[in-house]
Amino acid sequence: MANRVPQPLDVIQRWMQSVIVHPAGVAAGIKSASKTGEMEQGADRLEELICRSRAQTSIERLEVYSNAYKARLIDVLIGDYPAFVHALGEEAFVGLASGYLEVHPPVSYTLGELGRSFADYLIQTRPPNESEDGSPDWADFLIDLARLERCYSEVFDGPGIEELPPLDSDRFRHLPPEQWITSRLVAAPCLRLAVYRFPVHEYASAVRHQQDPESPIAEVTRLAIHRREYVVRRTTIDAIQFDLLTRLVEGASIGQALEQLIEGNSQAVVTADELSAWFRDWAAAGFFIGLAT
Amino acid sequence: MMPIPRCGHPNLGLGVGLRTVHFPYLLRHQPEVDWFEVISENFIDSHGRPRYVLDQLAERYPIVMHGVSLSIGSTDPLNLDYLRKLKSLADAVQAKWVSDHVCWTGVASRNSHDLLPLPYHEQSLQHVVERIRIVQDVLQRQLVLENPSSYVTFTASTMSEAEFVARMAEEADCGLLLDVNNIYVSSINHDFDAFEYLDAIPAHRVVQFHLAGHTNLGTHLIDTHDNHVTDPVWELYRKAHLLTGGASTLLEWDAKIPPFPIVHAEVMKARNYMSSALSSFASQPANDQPQANSTVLTSISSTVPHPATAIFAEVE
Repeated sequence: MANRVPQPLDVIQRWMQSVIVHPAGVAAGIKSASKTGEMEQGADRLEELICRSRAQTSIERLEVYSNAYKARLIDVLIGDYPAFVHALGEEAFVGLASGYLEVHPPVSYTLGELGRSFADYLIQTRPPNESEDGSPDWADFLIDLARLERCYSEVFDGPGIEELPPLDSDRFRHLPPEQWITSRLVAAPCLRLAVYRFPVHEYASAVRHQQDPESPIAEVTRLAIHRREYVVRRTTIDAIQFDLLTRLVEGASIGQALEQLIEGNSQAVVTADELSAWFRDWAAAGFFIGLAT
Repeated sequence: MMPIPRCGHPNLGLGVGLRTVHFPYLLRHQPEVDWFEVISENFIDSHGRPRYVLDQLAERYPIVMHGVSLSIGSTDPLNLDYLRKLKSLADAVQAKWVSDHVCWTGVASRNSHDLLPLPYHEQSLQHVVERIRIVQDVLQRQLVLENPSSYVTFTASTMSEAEFVARMAEEADCGLLLDVNNIYVSSINHDFDAFEYLDAIPAHRVVQFHLAGHTNLGTHLIDTHDNHVTDPVWELYRKAHLLTGGASTLLEWDAKIPPFPIVHAEVMKARNYMSSALSSFASQPANDQPQANSTVLTSISSTVPHPATAIFAEVE
C-alpha cells in the first residue's frame, strides 16, 4: 500500500476514462493522455499508477476495461439494430458502430439512449449517392433501416395506450355531420408516421423471424408505427392516408384536415364510405385515443 | 447494543435476477420464486412491456432494485433527476431495498456503462461516504452497495477493498450487497485471500448476496455472469452464510441465458451450502487459478464483464 499523497480522484478518473475509451486502444490512450492531460503517466511509468498482477502487466489489466467498453456497447447496438446488422454484416457493423461511439459516446444512465443518434450519424457520414438518376441507393436503404429500428425501440418502451379505454369507433358513425367536421382526434402517444424509400419494415420483420431476406428494391413506403398489447405493430398506408393522418396528428380538426387534403391532392378521390372505414380501422388499431368535439 | 442483522432488512430467501428473455415464462407459469431483483435503469423510464411485466410481478413477488449507473464514486455531480426516478420506481413497486455498486461509471458527463474501480484511500473513502449520505437523503431510504469485481488496482491505495467497504458501510450507515463471485474473481486477479476478505466485512451490514458464474481467461478471471456458479464461489458463499447468519441470496445470469428453470435451479443449490461446517475447500487452493495452459477464450463478446442487460423492442 502506498503512503504518498495520491493524485486527486477527479484527475485519476479523467485519465483512466480517456485511456480505456481511446479508439486506438490503451497504449494509444496513455500516450494521448500524457500529452494533453494533467497526468504525465507514460506507458513506461504506468506501474507507478496501476499495479501489475502476477500474470498481467499494468497495460494488459487496463485493456480488460478497454475491450469490455467497446464490446459491451457494440453488443447493445447489435441488439437495437438486428436488421441493420443482418444487412451490413456483423464485421462491418462493428467498424461502423465503433466510429459512431467515437462521435456519440454514451452519456445517459440508460443504454436505451445509446443508439439514439445512429441514423443521424449514418446520414452525416454516408458515401455520396452515385446513381445517375439519383434513385435511392444502398446507403439510403441502410439509413432507412436504422430509422425504422430506432422508431421501433422508442415506440416499444415509450408511453402507450394499453391502460386507456379504447376509442369507440361507433362514435364516428353516430356523430352529427356538423360536429364531425369540427372534431379533433387525439393521437395515441405511441403513433409514429414515417416515409421510407424502401419497404424496410418487410426486411426487418423477415430478419426478426430468423429469415435471410434479399435487399429490397426501392419503393416509397409509408408506415403508421404503433403499439398494441405492448408489441410494436406497423401498418402500411397510402399517400392520401398518410397525408390525412399527418394533419390529424398535428392537431387539425377533421374538417380542416379533409379540406387541406383536397387542396393538396386535387386528384384525390375518397368516398365517404372509404373515409368512414379508415376512421373505423384507425380507431380499432389504437391510432387515436380520444375525440374532442 | 447488538447490531441488527441485515440492517433490519428481511431475509427474502433465494431469488433470481429478472431478465427479459424470461418474461413470457414468468407471466405464464408464475413459478414459485422467493423474490426478484431488477436492473433499475431498465425500468425507471419504461412505459412499455418491461414496466408492465414488473408491475405484474410486483403484485406477487418481493422486488429489489439493483442499479448500475449511480456512479457513487464518480467526481461528477450526482444525477438528481436519475435519483428521483429511482425513488419513484422504488415507491411504486414497493422495492424492499435499492442497491448499486462501489464504483464509478464515468466522468466528464460520460457513462462508460462499466463498473470502474476506485483507488482505496482516505480521500476516496470520504468522497464516497459523503455521496452515499446525499443519495440516502434523496431516496429517503438506506442504500445498499455491492463490492465490484475488478481488473486493476492502484498504487495509490492505502487500504484493501475489504477495509474500504467495511469502513464505508459503517461511516455512511449503508447496507452491503456482498457479491461472493466478485470477491472470488478479484481475489484471483489481485492475489488476496477471499476468506480473509469475508472476515473483514461487518456481517450485520450484509443485506444481500450475489452469486454468478465467471470465465477463466488464463491470466485472469472475468465476471461474465454466463455460466453456473463455480465450486470455490459456493464455498465462499458457505462461509459468508455462516458469518452473517444468512441473507437474501440472488443469482445473476446475464449472457447465454438458459431457460428460467435452469437459472432458478442454480440459485436453489445455495441450500446445500447453508450448513454450518466449512468444507475442506477452505484450506485448499482454488481450482480455477489462472494457468498458463488454461483454455483461453478469444471472443470479445463472450468475455464481457457483467454484461449489459438492455431492453430490446418486440415487434409483430
